Amino acid sequence: MDTEALFECVTSMSCLVTQTSTGLIVGSLLFLVATGLTMIFGVLGVVNFAHGSLYMLGAYIALSAFRLTDSFIIATVIGALGVGLFSLFFERFFMRRVYGADVLMQLLVCYAFILILDDAVKIIWGSEFQSMGMPAYFQEPPVFLAGGVIPVFYIYLIAISAAIAVGLWLLLNKTKIGKVVRAAAVNPSMTSALGLNTSLIFAGVFAFGGALAGLAGALAAPVRSMSPGMGFSVLIESFIVTVIGGMGSVSGALVGALLIGLIRSFGSIGFPYFIEGVMFIAMAAILVLKPSGIMGKDNR
Amino acid sequence: MKANSFSREALIAAIALAILVTIPFVSDSSAVIDFGIRLAAFAVFATSLNMLVGFGGMVSFGHALYFGAGAYSFGLIMQHFALPIPIAFLLAVGFCAAVAAIVGAICVRLKEIYFAFLTLAFQMLFHSIIVSWTFFTGGDQGLMGGLPRPPFLGLNLVDPTDLYWFSVVVGVIALLLMRYILQSPFGYTLRMVRDNPDRAKFLGVNVWRIKLLAFVLAGSFGGIGGIIMALLVSGAFPDFTYWTMSGEAVFMVLMGGVSTFIGPVLGAALLLGFNDIITRVTEYHGLALGAIILLFALVFKHGITDFIAQGWQRLTGKKVES
Amino acid sequence: MKKRSQAIASQQRRQIITGSIAAVGLASIGMPGISLAQNNPIKIGMPTILSGRVAMLGEASRNAAIMGVEKFNAAGGLNGRPVELVIRDSKGKPDEAARITRELVNSDGCEMILDAEASSGAFAVHEVARDLGFLVIHTCSETSALTADPKMRIPNGFRAARQGVHDAIVGGDYSGKVAKEKGLKRWMSISPDYSYGKDTTAEFFEYLKYFNKDIEVVNSVWPKLFQADYSESITRLLQGKPQAIYSCLWGGDLTSFIDQASIYGLMKDRQFFGVNMADYAVLTAIKAVPPNIHSGNRYLKSIPKTQQNAAWCDAYLAKFKTMPLNWSWENAVGIDLMLNAIKQTNGTDTKKMSEALKGMTIDSPFGTNGKITMRASDHTIIDYAIAWGDLQPKEPYMPNPYMGNWKTVLELEKLWMKKKGYIS
Repeated sequence: MDTEALFECVTSMSCLVTQTSTGLIVGSLLFLVATGLTMIFGVLGVVNFAHGSLYMLGAYIALSAFRLTDSFIIATVIGALGVGLFSLFFERFFMRRVYGADVLMQLLVCYAFILILDDAVKIIWGSEFQSMGMPAYFQEPPVFLAGGVIPVFYIYLIAISAAIAVGLWLLLNKTKIGKVVRAAAVNPSMTSALGLNTSLIFAGVFAFGGALAGLAGALAAPVRSMSPGMGFSVLIESFIVTVIGGMGSVSGALVGALLIGLIRSFGSIGFPYFIEGVMFIAMAAILVLKPSGIMGKDNR
Repeated sequence: MKANSFSREALIAAIALAILVTIPFVSDSSAVIDFGIRLAAFAVFATSLNMLVGFGGMVSFGHALYFGAGAYSFGLIMQHFALPIPIAFLLAVGFCAAVAAIVGAICVRLKEIYFAFLTLAFQMLFHSIIVSWTFFTGGDQGLMGGLPRPPFLGLNLVDPTDLYWFSVVVGVIALLLMRYILQSPFGYTLRMVRDNPDRAKFLGVNVWRIKLLAFVLAGSFGGIGGIIMALLVSGAFPDFTYWTMSGEAVFMVLMGGVSTFIGPVLGAALLLGFNDIITRVTEYHGLALGAIILLFALVFKHGITDFIAQGWQRLTGKKVES
Repeated sequence: MKKRSQAIASQQRRQIITGSIAAVGLASIGMPGISLAQNNPIKIGMPTILSGRVAMLGEASRNAAIMGVEKFNAAGGLNGRPVELVIRDSKGKPDEAARITRELVNSDGCEMILDAEASSGAFAVHEVARDLGFLVIHTCSETSALTADPKMRIPNGFRAARQGVHDAIVGGDYSGKVAKEKGLKRWMSISPDYSYGKDTTAEFFEYLKYFNKDIEVVNSVWPKLFQADYSESITRLLQGKPQAIYSCLWGGDLTSFIDQASIYGLMKDRQFFGVNMADYAVLTAIKAVPPNIHSGNRYLKSIPKTQQNAAWCDAYLAKFKTMPLNWSWENAVGIDLMLNAIKQTNGTDTKKMSEALKGMTIDSPFGTNGKITMRASDHTIIDYAIAWGDLQPKEPYMPNPYMGNWKTVLELEKLWMKKKGYIS
């Protein structure tokens, strides 16, 4: 534990800016993935273990789309939509059948899909790692803020994630659709009794959650190489975020993601060998002290 | 539990053991022997998980912690101390029990999905310790250099056939012990805690203590599976305590059937068999295994023995005692 | 071990009997007695990784092995007997590697093993070889301990792959010179947090300091293997303000790191020493190789700059439509050694082949002087081409290679072995 280095960094403006922005960068993408996961759990009561594979799928679809159209924006949109469509299919024909069943059955179905998708990706795109490369309009020198460094591309990422966060909040709290979704989350049978089509809501939420994961994969594609099986580490981290933030809570996903991002970035200075350990301990601590998570409601 | 029903179980076990023991004399194939050893390890591991899942209603995602703890503690003891195998065996099981007691004390208070995630968190923590503590555990490369396996009781565990006999005997005894425990008053109390914890509490049962005891027992037997595996590969690897190993046990339990005792054993045999056949036949084992798992999850919707039990019940009207 | 040789002996007996009966039968109808047992192939088992994150290791390895076997068979095999590779996927799990190795040897009639497993799998296969006593040549594990540590040594186990410490010595030598030229005193490193990453980085710096006393390693960063996001590591490196950075990140990780580092401007005005850069998978994935990059040669067509190497590379590309990787040349050497041992001993007896392999020297496109030797003392290869140099974005990627001097390498390696307690 290097408290000296940590103190030095926190008291230095440039270090503080750089590390905080790094935390935001790491947290932003994590937020997108974790939000989908937490919404699916909140509304459908299902733990989508295949969420990491949806992230992977988004990255690969965006890669192909980029190679075809040479436009990052189009590639991202196609990636997100493609995964949204796949999630719809996945929910309709597979997850729907195990809604009432044990969480272990859901795990089984998701795991089967992880295996199938990993092989499918290997067949279509090959087993060698692939790289999208940075689109030309992002190849700018980084921005310097109070001595800290922030790459232009990451500013764009943080902005998109922030916009989605705000948009989602507005959607859930200020629109009728949002009200309906929240109602279905709290009491699906009552919602259905009131004449609302819960199965449509479920499908919609699942597709939306999946699309968010795909979007994250597409957004990260320019800087992260992709290979079959890359969904793994994202899955574990998004679970940690969801548990810490509160399963079913979007604001929890935001808080959790930022927290993990900051743990990673300041941890790499203060306790570089224990970053993972700290994350698991944080997860364990939350489960023991407040299982519903930081932003979760207590009676879940 | 009646004494004569248990002696019936013991008789079944003895017959099964007799059949298993004669297999090496009938078949020349080392594939069969290797399969037997691995089946012993996984049957015990999966059944120990089912003590928690099927009989205790506690879904654990982190059971591989004990598989790894058993393998590593046994391996380290054999590498560093000149102890006879049976002693090292007991010490390793003791270590697993101790770890399960500590982890269990923290975990069993939680409900359902939170319990599952916490067991997973502890298992991943254990995994990171094993992988980082390179000096002691060999890190990501595992225990290197092989395990010394001094002969005992006329058995030389370096010889695959001797190891087969050892594993099969240990496996059957472990299964019999677990059966005994689950058929005992404790076992029925555990079922009651699974079905209706509030009722159990009103009846004066210390729910937390029952769950903890189940957790410790499950962990100890899980460790036995790890020890057999360590003897087979002559080492221990971080893989043994990774969540994929937990997942395999979960699948064995699910595919074999949670509501019967023998379900996980059947599930273990199935999954190992599928794995062996698929990897020989095709490179795309993910697709093949994924398809098979979907078949079980969506079409059968239950494990095989659950299916059979339901069918039996429909035919005869008698409920199968699990 | 007794059982396996008994099994093979009984199988051979059956073949001889069948062959003899057939021969007698054919002779009785007036045909010459062709012994049918002769066409029965020699099976070599090959456990490797064909799925998951490291699947390219298996593909690159298998391609090279197939090329070697086809060449051998085209030249007539062993007195007409062809060699057959039986390749299995261990999915990167060591216990699965052990299982398929046992299966290959016990049930599938493989008489020896070309082990293309990563290091943990290699250790697992090694233990199976220790127990069952078949010939094994490891082709992908670079962990020095596999052969350097006397505790690991078995008479039937060999390694045909580069060794971490050899690489580090040449790297330290070259980098020490560059550091002196460019005044690089302040160093940092970023390497994956597992045995390969830690050992290789430690060895590199040890020899860097040996060749250039002015070096100071200010800090080291250790991201996890296959970690997607290097932001916090990169900002850490930026803060340390090093003049040079060393990394043994490889494959997709290295590509991600370079891509992410370049948007931070990390490589600007800095020298980067990435031992695994000069690898076709990385060079083709990174669209623009940044300036100021130095690397060791994982595999390059131009190193060594010989007609044989270029021809081998072209043949590989033509057959598999992809460039060879580091694992490819290692498996090519491994299979060459194995096939040569078969030819030399005119059979597949483990003991005889092991004896033949000790000290065996073969012609190889990848040797420093056209030859590679399997060292008798610790069963690992020497005299393979090691080179370091700065990189440019097109072929030949390393225009001015600094070729490793094996005399120096062997001298320093001996000191290293003494220090580790491997030799007294």
